[in-house]
Amino acid sequence: MLRASGVGFGWLAAASLLAEQATADVRPASEDADPLAPRQPDFPARAKRVIFLFMKGGPSHVDTFDYKPKLQADDGKPLPFDKPRVQFAPTGNLLRSPWKFRPYGESGILVSELFPHVAQHVDDLCIMNSVHGTNAAHGGALLKLHTGSDTFVRPSMGSWVTYGLGTENRNLPGFLTICPTLAHGGVKNWGAAFLPAHYQGTPMGVASAPSSQARVKFIANGRLSRDEQRRQLDLLAAMNRDHLAQTGPHQALEARLNSFELAFRMQMAMPEAEDLSRESAATHKLYGLDDPVTADFGRQCLLARRFAERGVRFVQVTHSDTNVQWDQHSQLKEGHEKNSREVDKPIAGLLADLKSRGLLDDTLVLWGGEFGRTPTAQGKDGRDHNPYGFTMWLAGGRSKAGIRYGATDDYGYYAAENKIHIHDLHATLLAFLGLDHERLTYRYAGRDFRLTDVHGDVVRDIMT
Amino acid sequence: MRALSFVLCCGAALATTLPARGSDDDAALRAEAERFFEQRIRPLLSEHCFECHGAKKQQGGLRLDGAEGLAKGTDSGPVVVAGKPDQSRLLEVLRYAPGDVQMPPKGKLADDDVAAVVRWIQMGADFPGAAKRQAGGGDASGPGMAGGAQGHWAFQPVQRPVPPEVANVSLPLAPIDRFIVAKLEASELKPASPADRRTLIRRLSFDLTGLPPSFEDVEAFASDPSPDAYVRLVDRLLASPAYGERWARYWLDVARYADTKGYLFEEDRNYAQAYTYRDWVIRAFNDDLPYDRFIQLQLAADRLTSDADAQHQAAMGFLTLGRRFLNNRHDIIDDRIDVVTRGLLGLTVTCARCHDHKYDPIPTADYYSLYGVFDSSDEPREGGHPLRLVDAPNPREPRIFLRGSHRNRGEQVPRQFLAVLAGDERRPFTDGSGRLELARAIADPANPLTARVLVNRVWRWHFGRGLVETPSDFGLRSDPPTHPGLLDWLAAEFVGVESRGSRVESQHSSTVERRPGSDPQPSTLNPQPLPWSLKRLHRAIVLSAVYQQSSLRPSSTLHPPSSPATPGDADSEPNLDFENRLLSHFPRRRLDFEAQRDALLAAAGRLDRTMYGPSVKIAEPPFPPRRSVYAFIDRQNLPGVFRAFDFAAPDVHSPGRFTTTVPQQALFLLNSPFAIEQAHFLANRPEVPAARSPAEQVQVLYRLAYGREPETEELSLAIAFLESTNATSPTSGEAHPNALPPLVQLAQVLLGSNEFVYID
Repeated sequence: MLRASGVGFGWLAAASLLAEQATADVRPASEDADPLAPRQPDFPARAKRVIFLFMKGGPSHVDTFDYKPKLQADDGKPLPFDKPRVQFAPTGNLLRSPWKFRPYGESGILVSELFPHVAQHVDDLCIMNSVHGTNAAHGGALLKLHTGSDTFVRPSMGSWVTYGLGTENRNLPGFLTICPTLAHGGVKNWGAAFLPAHYQGTPMGVASAPSSQARVKFIANGRLSRDEQRRQLDLLAAMNRDHLAQTGPHQALEARLNSFELAFRMQMAMPEAEDLSRESAATHKLYGLDDPVTADFGRQCLLARRFAERGVRFVQVTHSDTNVQWDQHSQLKEGHEKNSREVDKPIAGLLADLKSRGLLDDTLVLWGGEFGRTPTAQGKDGRDHNPYGFTMWLAGGRSKAGIRYGATDDYGYYAAENKIHIHDLHATLLAFLGLDHERLTYRYAGRDFRLTDVHGDVVRDIMT
Repeated sequence: MRALSFVLCCGAALATTLPARGSDDDAALRAEAERFFEQRIRPLLSEHCFECHGAKKQQGGLRLDGAEGLAKGTDSGPVVVAGKPDQSRLLEVLRYAPGDVQMPPKGKLADDDVAAVVRWIQMGADFPGAAKRQAGGGDASGPGMAGGAQGHWAFQPVQRPVPPEVANVSLPLAPIDRFIVAKLEASELKPASPADRRTLIRRLSFDLTGLPPSFEDVEAFASDPSPDAYVRLVDRLLASPAYGERWARYWLDVARYADTKGYLFEEDRNYAQAYTYRDWVIRAFNDDLPYDRFIQLQLAADRLTSDADAQHQAAMGFLTLGRRFLNNRHDIIDDRIDVVTRGLLGLTVTCARCHDHKYDPIPTADYYSLYGVFDSSDEPREGGHPLRLVDAPNPREPRIFLRGSHRNRGEQVPRQFLAVLAGDERRPFTDGSGRLELARAIADPANPLTARVLVNRVWRWHFGRGLVETPSDFGLRSDPPTHPGLLDWLAAEFVGVESRGSRVESQHSSTVERRPGSDPQPSTLNPQPLPWSLKRLHRAIVLSAVYQQSSLRPSSTLHPPSSPATPGDADSEPNLDFENRLLSHFPRRRLDFEAQRDALLAAAGRLDRTMYGPSVKIAEPPFPPRRSVYAFIDRQNLPGVFRAFDFAAPDVHSPGRFTTTVPQQALFLLNSPFAIEQAHFLANRPEVPAARSPAEQVQVLYRLAYGREPETEELSLAIAFLESTNATSPTSGEAHPNALPPLVQLAQVLLGSNEFVYID
């Protein structure tokens, strides 16, 4: 009876429940049913969780995973068709990639010298060469990628996923973002917007600080030992139970009482999950923790694996520094070489590790930036933002392995074949998790909102 | 690539020009065809075709965004034969035949979409133009107004209902109570008993001022023998400056207040003067500025006060303090329309930016009528108050942006009020931008929404839940009010609408006898009713018996079931009203972020009661002990503590806050430097060290934290904790080197307890 009366938040918006779904406007609810309880998806899920490796700034697809022979051949010539009406900055003529590509694996997919380690796993990758968005500025493009809207404040995809599926480990946050950037949308990129606070991302650290310092805020008490705090919590629980005895049964009071116990368990679970010393030397090496160049991002990737295996539903890892890391408007060669060196080995290590542990079967890994870069030159040796066609890739989660899907035009400027808009990407991501993007809705301000707004087609061709 | 080849392969196709419509002289058929086109076909074309075959690009020479382009077809000829889907090349490419051109290139349309195109071609492939399209939509008596809209409760004039008769005579009943009790009786529920005085003063203090009463206040009130003690308390709290600080903060949620502009590229992201709007709102509440005037000043202070009167110019921060959207003018105006319409009228008008509202009688034309008002209002570049708007010298005549795109302009519309509210008397605005006329139309006593929406918000802020569940959406999709009569009675009383010569009886305290029957009744709110007075409204609500009930659920129903219930009925317990929508008892509530933080500072003896002035950053040390209403609100990167405690997202108008329970809240109270600091201050208030024994120390802590004495068991529990902590901490090897003293630990527990953060 009580549970039924609490119908509302946290329930998957399956059609039968739609009518009962609470309106975001008001319900003081979410105090009754457990809003983070694990929930069944709409249809059998391929993946149970997501690890999103976010390359902030916009890695160049034509220099990494989208080889363009005509670009190499026509270096210095003008682009033979129109540039987009909206450009971030004027660019000049075509600029060949300074890196060599070669085929890898049984699939023979071409990967550039920038990612020699990831290339070893190319037969596990589902490379989407035809992703496109609309916004050519970092802020808008980040928000579009993370929330589906570059204009309005909307829940981030991690929030939607946790809203749809709940979490498998209540002692850890359901949606964690490791070393996120505070620029370009900042907290909105992991915010819950109009969804209740249960579904907001929990940040660990920031992009501008070393990942070795990344902690969930207030996760530890600097003034009390664990035993001392336990005694303190016992007193608190006793007082709260006395209070409850006077008020009579009250779900919200009980939930709050329990939340302190949950917080206490989280205080133990987080350090355990973060404790990389439990990993073997071989694992450390696999992720590049033994090398100062790769250690920082390697640590983030290893953390991601540890959270994933502990049931965190959505983990985001961000590669960025205080600047906009992958944003090579000039000095493309120096910048991209530095960046790829930092991430290549850790990502390859993550893929290998997930696979050897059997986690790659039900963990969907998504790699990419907020946009790609122009095949035309900015200045003499840079590339501008290009949201009109770029590459992201998937691994695991029963995505089709060892394929390239979609294509840009001959020079890599526009997505041309089997185009995947950001909305399509979102729809597909949810579909991997067993969620129907048209049914995962939330009523707010008079209408039902979706991650994909009124758009999005699931790209079934990349799912097994 | 395939997009380019569309027409190259189309040579084989295509017959004549678009013929005239067939036999559909019948206007109804035409209207039906048009509606079908707008609902099914235009969105499809727009979504899948315009990108390559629209205003910007015409791949293959084909343009599909208007009748002309459709008639012309590709460079090779038309693609549609009216009435003959089978001969229409368009259908062939949509069908994705192997080896043939396949459109749209991204993926085949869903079968029902293709079927819709078939039907459209069968119906004559008419392509209504923009002007024609809007003709229907621009008139709220058109299709949009059909169905339930005209009879929708929220659009009916407010009538002052007579409070219903009730059987229950155990309580003295104000009019508000009679609406509530009548519903309870109908459900065979009875109201709870009155709350005791200690509960009442804590409830009322937090409710009206956002601050706890002191122990001395509680004692004085609990022992005051005078029958009007409660009324005097109400009046004292309403007169306190803290009242304005509390209630202004509620309004700031409505107004999506922030001290920053949101994401911007390079310019300064701060609204340096935002606080002047916040201060204006505080003064407005404290001065009991009539709500109609409150609205008018926020929309058109430039027209209502002199330029020199900077204080009132700040009122327009209501419009101007929204996100800047990278200075995209259309989005800025959209945000202003939203805050005005959802915030003041409970209508989701911005749904009509791209298409007629799907549920409510709000055509796109009406959106652009309001758009024109704000488009004709400028922010002065230099001089004048930075939050101010002024009418542009030459008002701009708005045009509808088809599908919301400013690159696709449709019919011109007048600047005017919403059709659904203006009715037959709607006239175009003629005075400057029309902003002042808009303000007056909203603040008109005859407007059926303004007062209803406001009294519902106020009710919700008092009881935690509105009579209407969706405070910012009173449209057709909203649930009807739980107590429609009460909503209207409050609204009528609020604006001073009289009816049938009957005014309602004054009931000031629980000691006043209920007068039987229906006497001639003086106003509940004030002997000399002041229209649009919020303080009068608060007074009526908090003086009701419903408000003064205990928060304990009454133990039994009003009557035993009059007839033996079937077993199924008994199991389903239909009348228990677990959600307490009928208010059989006072809804226990958690303190919101601001009240909780202020209460922590108050208990710690730290609260700085300085009013007004520039905002202070409260999330970083050294933590300023100002009230939370003065917090700096960074809408771009709102600190985590705000978000963890359900603060309203300041990006858009907020209809109301959640009350979530997440472990991050507990972590904050257990481990954050701020929480530990307040515990430390509480344990070190002069009264605590001055106490002579641990028992006295506990007693003092209870008084300071809860405003009451500890019970015997509580005392022994706390003393046992202090002793055990004393015994272990200094000697135990586990103790933290910088461990908190036992009294500080105890203080922290008191501040984190359910009792501290819940109001009974």
